[in-house]
Amino acid sequence: MMYDYFKNMVDGVSQKLLQDPDSINAKKKYVLEIAKIGQKLYTRDEKIAWCGVTIPFDLLNSMGVTSCFVEFVGAMLSSNETAPIFIKEAEDSGYAPDSCAYHRAVTGAMLKDIMPEPDFIIGSSSPCTAGLAVMEDMARRFKKDFFILNVPQNNSKESIKFLTDQIKEMTRFITAHTQKPLSMEKLGRALEFFNESSLILKDIYNLAKQTPSPVDNKLLKDFGTVIGLIMGTREGVEICQAFKDELIDRIESQKIDPSKEKIRIMWIQNRIQYKFPIEKMLEDFGVKIVVDELNDVTWEPMDPDNPFESIAKRIISIPYSLGTNERIAHMQLLAREYKLDGAINPCHWGCRQGTGVRGLTTRGLKDVNVPVLNLEIDCVDSRNLAQGQIETRLEAFVEMLT
Amino acid sequence: MATKKIGFTCAYAPVPIIEAAGFTPFRVFPETDSKDQSGYMLHDNLCPHVKKVLDRALDEDLPELEGMVFINSCDSMRRLSDAWQEARPGDRTILLDLPSSNTDASITFLAGEYKRLLKTLCQWNSVDVSLDKLKSRINAWNSLSQTLGNIEHAMGKNFYPGLFSQYQKIINLSAMHGVDKAFLKAKEIDPDKMSPQKGHAPVFIFGNLLFDPKVFNLFEEWNMHVADNDFCTGSRFVNSVDYDASKDLFYSLASSWMNRTPCARTMDIADPGAIARKIVDRAKSCNARGVIGFTVKFCDPYLARIPMIREALQQESIPFLMIEGDCTLGSMGQQQTRIEAFTEMLEV
Repeated sequence: MMYDYFKNMVDGVSQKLLQDPDSINAKKKYVLEIAKIGQKLYTRDEKIAWCGVTIPFDLLNSMGVTSCFVEFVGAMLSSNETAPIFIKEAEDSGYAPDSCAYHRAVTGAMLKDIMPEPDFIIGSSSPCTAGLAVMEDMARRFKKDFFILNVPQNNSKESIKFLTDQIKEMTRFITAHTQKPLSMEKLGRALEFFNESSLILKDIYNLAKQTPSPVDNKLLKDFGTVIGLIMGTREGVEICQAFKDELIDRIESQKIDPSKEKIRIMWIQNRIQYKFPIEKMLEDFGVKIVVDELNDVTWEPMDPDNPFESIAKRIISIPYSLGTNERIAHMQLLAREYKLDGAINPCHWGCRQGTGVRGLTTRGLKDVNVPVLNLEIDCVDSRNLAQGQIETRLEAFVEMLT
Repeated sequence: MATKKIGFTCAYAPVPIIEAAGFTPFRVFPETDSKDQSGYMLHDNLCPHVKKVLDRALDEDLPELEGMVFINSCDSMRRLSDAWQEARPGDRTILLDLPSSNTDASITFLAGEYKRLLKTLCQWNSVDVSLDKLKSRINAWNSLSQTLGNIEHAMGKNFYPGLFSQYQKIINLSAMHGVDKAFLKAKEIDPDKMSPQKGHAPVFIFGNLLFDPKVFNLFEEWNMHVADNDFCTGSRFVNSVDYDASKDLFYSLASSWMNRTPCARTMDIADPGAIARKIVDRAKSCNARGVIGFTVKFCDPYLARIPMIREALQQESIPFLMIEGDCTLGSMGQQQTRIEAFTEMLEV
């Protein structure tokens, strides 16, 4: 089922790109590359690893491993509206409805045998405890070797060394399963691609900061999280460049409608994955999502001469890896740079990590005069969606901001 | 006798270190009449343990504390540490990073964190770091652990009415008033001089928090013989330190904490899902006829493992009852019918 889903997506998008080869088509190219990863996961031509969100995919790519974070599958199932089937399967098997639906969907998919069997599993303690728990369950059910990257919550010298050593150990773990040693040359190239992508990403985000912003409410949806899957590749560089070109084109050809940007907001944490026209609703209100919380380059360039430590520092720099104070400081920085009028936090049900401190993040943004609308939405499980209620709250929030 | 107190909330905070710095430990249990006000800082779907502890902090329902030790053991504990700093900005706090896996690298890292803890606490108390003092407190801790182990052993063999409640009081005493007081109390208990009774169903109980001694009296009224337990407020809390003289003292501490029966958040990467097998083993070794799991609501580490635990117990035909709540006496009262029905089913 999932193979067909990804194959159809790859075929369909490829066709569309062929029909219009001269246009920039950033989003289509991006969807195509991501769908290709999905297709590879279900084809099994390469070694496959299921991973946590903050695992260095550039390193795994350079070692010839097709890898992906499991929440990606939860999001895919949600976007094709099959997630409720798998979530129900998980719940019927005893997994608590109070837990995160990304993970329940993945667990249900595993129980229904639609998760491809990996060669090994690499979890990480960042961003969340629940994500690591589902990785352990996966290792148990698939009877596969399991590795954990423990990501410390501070960037002290000791913490960076601890994580650096673990990343080195991880490469030995991978080699033991692929029988291929790490090629420093390939890693060096991956890091070059990563650095190139990072530079273009900075340009993309700087363009998005302009007033009016050339982005729309969907263009960079969850971009900062998902692009990590391909950033250490040539394709990753090309995708980033396509997005940059798209934004420049919009600015130069004056395609930006200022009436759709009466209010500039930030989307906190992840977007809603199933079909729910919240972006359109916001657009109709003249609200533009100019930034997603995780759309940022928080790391220094990777040092090919010191790759493991560079990667360790990068992982720790992600706002979710650090404490709430650092996360709030990062949001406040975005608020200033993007000249935000407000922010929306979906408060994804079951997320203790991101949603847990919503009171603190709300207050932190209020300190820089950015009001926050805290919704109560399950971003993956659409079964209990109270659409009318959300519409009313959005409307009230927009009225307040205007 | 130290009178200055250091608060802590997680069983991965080693009491011997707190005492070696000249402080009395004070575990902040989620037991309070404070009004429910943590919701304005933390989302309602965080575990009641964390929210009630924060309620205590917000309501000043605490003794005078010289500082707080937090452990990065799970998302909720991390968030509690964040919220505490906001709720009581004047408090001294330290957050220790706790790795999720029990590899040698993790133990070495945790040893560094424990060393940092001792150094910080000694600074707070304006005393010098003394490894001799730490060894002495570890010895006292091990003596307590051994004495409690003897009581656990006796309870595993026979049912002594009221003994589990006394055992729990001693553990709470160690967590809130120090090891020496708890040890003196523990020495007063001699199961050989007590009369065992028959007719109660031997049950193994596990989970995260179950700390109110009165709960265990209720269990006995409901025909349950708690033959063994695995809680971070119970047997998991006072575990002995395997002190290896050839190794760093902090490494020994970290190794003991990482290799003891783990909280669900700590994983053995060589044996994913080991928690399920361990619970089966513990249940079998105390001849339990059934197993009851008690977890606080919204506890991700346990919620994720309950299905595998249920599956493992089913394979061994060991009846299992799962109870979720806030693990206080009040919520336990609501479970009376379920627990009674369960123990009746065990057909003693």
